[in-house]
Amino acid sequence: MTTEQYAIPGLKNVLYIDLTSRSYYIKDRRDLYEKYLGGVGVATNLMLEEYIEGTGPLDPEMPIILSTGPLSGVYPTCTKTVALFRSPHNGELGESYAGGHLAMSMRYSGYETIIIKGASQYPVYVAIHNDKVIFRDASSIWHLSSAIDVGKVLRDVEPGAGRRSIIRIGPAGEKGITYASVNVDTYRHFGRLGLGTVFGAKKLKALLIVGNQEIKSPDHNAYRKTYSKLYDTIVKTGLTEKYHNLGTSENILVLNELKGLPTRNLQETSFEGAETISGELFAEKYLIRRVSCAGCPIGCVHVAMLRRPFSKAHEYETLNISYDYELIYALGSNLGVADPEAVLELIDACEKAGVDIISMGGVLTWATEMQQRGKIFTDETMGLQFSWGDKAAYLRAIDLLVQAPNDFYAALGKGVGYASKKYGGEEFAVQLGGLEIPGYHTGLGNMLGLTVGFRHSHLDNAGYAADQAAFNRPLSDEKIAEAIIEEEDRRSVLNCMVACLFARNVYTYQNIIEALKSLVVNLH
Amino acid sequence: MQFLFSLTQKFPFVIKAMLYKKKTHTSLKEELEREIMAKRLKVANQASCIGCYSCMMACARTWYDTISLKNSRINIQTRGGIETPYAAIVCHACIDPPCMRACPLGVLTKRKGGGVNLNKEICDGCGNCIEACIIGAIHLDAEKKAVICKHCGVCTKFCPHDVLEMIEVEDSGEIKVTDTSPVEDTSSVSSTASHKELYGRKEPEEEK
Repeated sequence: MTTEQYAIPGLKNVLYIDLTSRSYYIKDRRDLYEKYLGGVGVATNLMLEEYIEGTGPLDPEMPIILSTGPLSGVYPTCTKTVALFRSPHNGELGESYAGGHLAMSMRYSGYETIIIKGASQYPVYVAIHNDKVIFRDASSIWHLSSAIDVGKVLRDVEPGAGRRSIIRIGPAGEKGITYASVNVDTYRHFGRLGLGTVFGAKKLKALLIVGNQEIKSPDHNAYRKTYSKLYDTIVKTGLTEKYHNLGTSENILVLNELKGLPTRNLQETSFEGAETISGELFAEKYLIRRVSCAGCPIGCVHVAMLRRPFSKAHEYETLNISYDYELIYALGSNLGVADPEAVLELIDACEKAGVDIISMGGVLTWATEMQQRGKIFTDETMGLQFSWGDKAAYLRAIDLLVQAPNDFYAALGKGVGYASKKYGGEEFAVQLGGLEIPGYHTGLGNMLGLTVGFRHSHLDNAGYAADQAAFNRPLSDEKIAEAIIEEEDRRSVLNCMVACLFARNVYTYQNIIEALKSLVVNLH
Repeated sequence: MQFLFSLTQKFPFVIKAMLYKKKTHTSLKEELEREIMAKRLKVANQASCIGCYSCMMACARTWYDTISLKNSRINIQTRGGIETPYAAIVCHACIDPPCMRACPLGVLTKRKGGGVNLNKEICDGCGNCIEACIIGAIHLDAEKKAVICKHCGVCTKFCPHDVLEMIEVEDSGEIKVTDTSPVEDTSSVSSTASHKELYGRKEPEEEK
């Protein structure tokens, strides 16, 4: 229905979900939306309200906050949702972004922000159907071996196909791997800092949101004009060219050339097998589809198809696997894996387990160096012999890590920071701020950004971009620091809109102001 | 009502006159109305759909003064999540439309080029047309009026992947044979050849 309730001027609905009592209420929080831009701005302030000093990341009282912005579901490429929580991986503020259908579904459900608190006694999933919120027993899907399959089950149980988002965890989240991710609509994720672990601790297997309501458009002609302008900028100017052609994996060869591609636990910075795991090769041999987040005409999600024999008698399965630069770095060059099919298989194993792939790659790569230096033995690894490029050992290790049958694998499930404190090898435990590093060994800008940046993703301060600019023309260290600060400010504004950062050059300050103005939101 | 029904049956232009009176006068709409000649929408390349929903947003934005997916006449659907190809559900511009036959009030009349014209004012939301359309291309809006494709083509202007096309048809709706050239070769030139043909031609302006 078109009602005042969903009018854009005055985004206001916050849905509070309590898993302990399996109840919910909706609160009018227009005060927040009047004061802050939305997205990470609103979420941060809600976190300040909700967080009680000393609450542990996995305590029931610790909230999960999901938030969209004023442009979500309204303008093209404003397709992200921000999640705030306390990270079980490094204890810091956890901030993570995911695309898929989530932002649009949340916006059209009428809840711009959702807060989840408490913990259920038994596994549950929560289904939000526009204004109805239903809690359902998820015990029967709690031990599913694959996060992907959770979606397959829920798609049949719940209505709303095509207008919904299903976010869910896999076994890694259930078992408390501290870098478990939340799978969003199969191909996107809340990654990095362990939101999946927090879901698991709350016994929250999945959250399904169906949203299909109208949003009032107070100045419809202005909105239409601005929409067309932004759409044309995205589709017709080449500003997003990189993302809709080869995608982020285009960077493999670029960074390899710059000697910025972490290889074999960063023992080297270029990889002799870069050609065979390049974005070009994946596109040519394995890419079968490109898809979009709902509301984005770019289509950067690259899906590969892998045909894999499951018997020696010509029997095959086909796997559809989405790939990106970071995944190929983490499970390819940094593990010494040059076989693209092995990279895809490793990605698939992580997707099913529901773990952050950068961290999983970092953990496996550290373990390999440990074993090669004789600091751990097959006693710890339960017989596995890790060596660079050995897919079979790594596939088993991912499985063991999730099941944690001994102390060593349990330690690997807490990241290289934790494991290296326990087993030694801290000098080659590659992490910054307790987080395994993303795949940009570009220089000091990257290190600085990851070490002191407010936000925790490499994409939020882009130190690597400052480094890359410095490759072309010399920049003083001060200038690099300035560029990082400036970029972090700019990206924080984008994260309040919760626009996809791939469209950062489309959503200039000026265009953001115009986009808001066309919705009769005027900034003071 | 009976009178109105017989009137519209005999003189389809009465409907047209009603339509014109109802029109909200913005230039885009006028332009689109004018384009409703002997053309119809066709889902030409379903496989290239990336599921961006831009077409649905465009349709709903053009014909309603709100922002939504639900008022769109074209419906991009998933069949097993994003893991499987998208389906575009949209009016097939039937030459002899079953929805028109099913309508008890004469709300729907034959459209030049196939499909129907809808007289929204007299639609009472009975839903018979929805049942008659087995492809599922009709639904009701919040005011309980049928939402049926006008074949205006605005969705094609917001499809980044050439999934949707407007094709020329005979007034009756029969498809005209226009293209007799060999099928275009779309195999990759090289892995780095860009999609600029599809996406515009300007060079990227930023660092990689």
